[in-house]
Amino acid sequence: MLSESARAASAAEARFRINEPNSRPRAVKIIALDRPSEGIVKRLAQSSWTNATFLTALASAPPRGEPFSIQGWLSDLAGHTKDLVGEINNADQVVMIATAGEDAQAASLIGEACSMKRVMTTALVLGATSISDAALSRTLAQLRPWALMLVIASAEEYIADMLAALRA
Amino acid sequence: MLKKEQSDLLTQTGPGTPGGRLFRSYWIPALLASELADNDGPPARVKLLSERLLAFRDSQGRLGLMDEFCAHRGVSLWFGRNEENGLRCPYHGWKYDHTGQCIEVPSEPVESGFCNKIKLKSYPLVERGGVLWTYMGRPDKQPPLPEWEFALVPAEQSFMSKRIQESNWLQAMEGGIDSSHVSFLHRGDLNSDPLFKGSKANQYNLRDSRPVFEVVESPGGLYIGARRDAENGNYYWRITQWVMPAFTMIPPRGDHPVHGHFWIPIDDENCWTWSFDYHPTRPLTQEQLRAMREGKGIHVKYQRGTFRPLANKDNDYLIDRAAQKAGRTFSGVKGIAMQDASLQESMGPIVDRTKENLVSTDNGIIMARHRLVRAVKALMDKDTMPPGIDIAHQRVRSAAVVLPPDKPFIEAAKEHLAVRAGVAHASV
Repeated sequence: MLSESARAASAAEARFRINEPNSRPRAVKIIALDRPSEGIVKRLAQSSWTNATFLTALASAPPRGEPFSIQGWLSDLAGHTKDLVGEINNADQVVMIATAGEDAQAASLIGEACSMKRVMTTALVLGATSISDAALSRTLAQLRPWALMLVIASAEEYIADMLAALRA
Repeated sequence: MLKKEQSDLLTQTGPGTPGGRLFRSYWIPALLASELADNDGPPARVKLLSERLLAFRDSQGRLGLMDEFCAHRGVSLWFGRNEENGLRCPYHGWKYDHTGQCIEVPSEPVESGFCNKIKLKSYPLVERGGVLWTYMGRPDKQPPLPEWEFALVPAEQSFMSKRIQESNWLQAMEGGIDSSHVSFLHRGDLNSDPLFKGSKANQYNLRDSRPVFEVVESPGGLYIGARRDAENGNYYWRITQWVMPAFTMIPPRGDHPVHGHFWIPIDDENCWTWSFDYHPTRPLTQEQLRAMREGKGIHVKYQRGTFRPLANKDNDYLIDRAAQKAGRTFSGVKGIAMQDASLQESMGPIVDRTKENLVSTDNGIIMARHRLVRAVKALMDKDTMPPGIDIAHQRVRSAAVVLPPDKPFIEAAKEHLAVRAGVAHASV
């Protein structure tokens, strides 16, 4: 007689697995942290997603080094201002898109808000092969404290694959 | 979540499939050298990539790997007589050399040359590092022999075992790059297994069950870094190597040997899990070798005379609920290898990835699938050589290091992630 494990792991038994959804859609916020990433996010937004929102954190960012207010700092791709805390409140997952060598200081504001709301953060860095290690380090140093998962990818297409894998 | 057509692309590796073509681009481990120890010894059946093959070592020590079945009436040549530079079918005496060429058909006149017209499909079989490697792709694309460090160090510095895993190769391999499960599934073994215990790394692991991950593409695959807090504001990093398509290397612990795996499809519902341990600079100790032979660390005990683990699905993996309740094991299954295999086999022969709910800590798995799909498509569409074939991609090491907080591990640990002759692996 087959053991319980042998029977249960068979291909025949796989037919009886419950064929109902086992999760509800997750709200994923994808935020571009710099100008090159904004272009990527705009292209991503053209595809069909379940519950993904595409945002940009640079529309009204002040010059480097100057203090800035959280108000009116985040926007959607049409340029409408979005409230960061409101967006994070409705998020299950935040994905920050950064370009290696670019300023990623916006990550700290987003990360802090996510930390307060206990929202998981992922940072994705593109373009790492075309810049120096030192420049990459600077970008990573800005992201690392605020990203619970950090991915350095060579191709833009990875982001779409990752979002699909996460059911965004 | 992975679409079914993408999952099929990677999980189907038989002849003529895109995933099969990917695997047929590489040298892959086929048998342990010890399975064909003697000239004219018994042949060995081996199924790889959904092809039934037979391996033998002829009178001169030449290795052959060919179609298992006689071209005459389809008899398995496993029953053959291995003698006088060839394997003779016991049914009607047809004889084949190590290349699969028929060299004798007793019922036909020698002058007819009939036997010259008979040749079994065969593949090269080469011994290196205690492993017999084969290449099952197009002869004109045959790459240089593999140069994994474990296979190049002196024999006394390395140990290799293999076991059958009753699941598709991909779900097995994905376990090898899923660093976040260690703090749960294997937590009972970190401080007790003789091949793991005693390292400071275990304390970092057990103290922090929620590491932060960084996934970075490497030339041959991926670096998967898991970061935990160490002393004085520093980070303890465990950096796993994945080299395409099916090589994974686990970060070391203390001065224990470093170990890893190959996950090679037998067919679409079974795979060979190859498990190696080696030390780059010193022989393994007798105590370590004994532990490995006794199924400790990433190795297993076997059912007598087979490569099937002693704990397997037919005996419910010898699950011990009392040990689970007492915390001696997290899942109730004993041994690191079978803790992984039992769960991966429980997913079914080929897990339905359309049902899964991945989270961001699964980015290593997501990226590996992404790179595999990309490589398969490039191979099919443009005949592009996939990553992992280049010898430089194979000269890698995993590492466990403590680094300052402001340094990317790929920069700070760069020299530790490549083979350095005469230098031990970086470990904590």
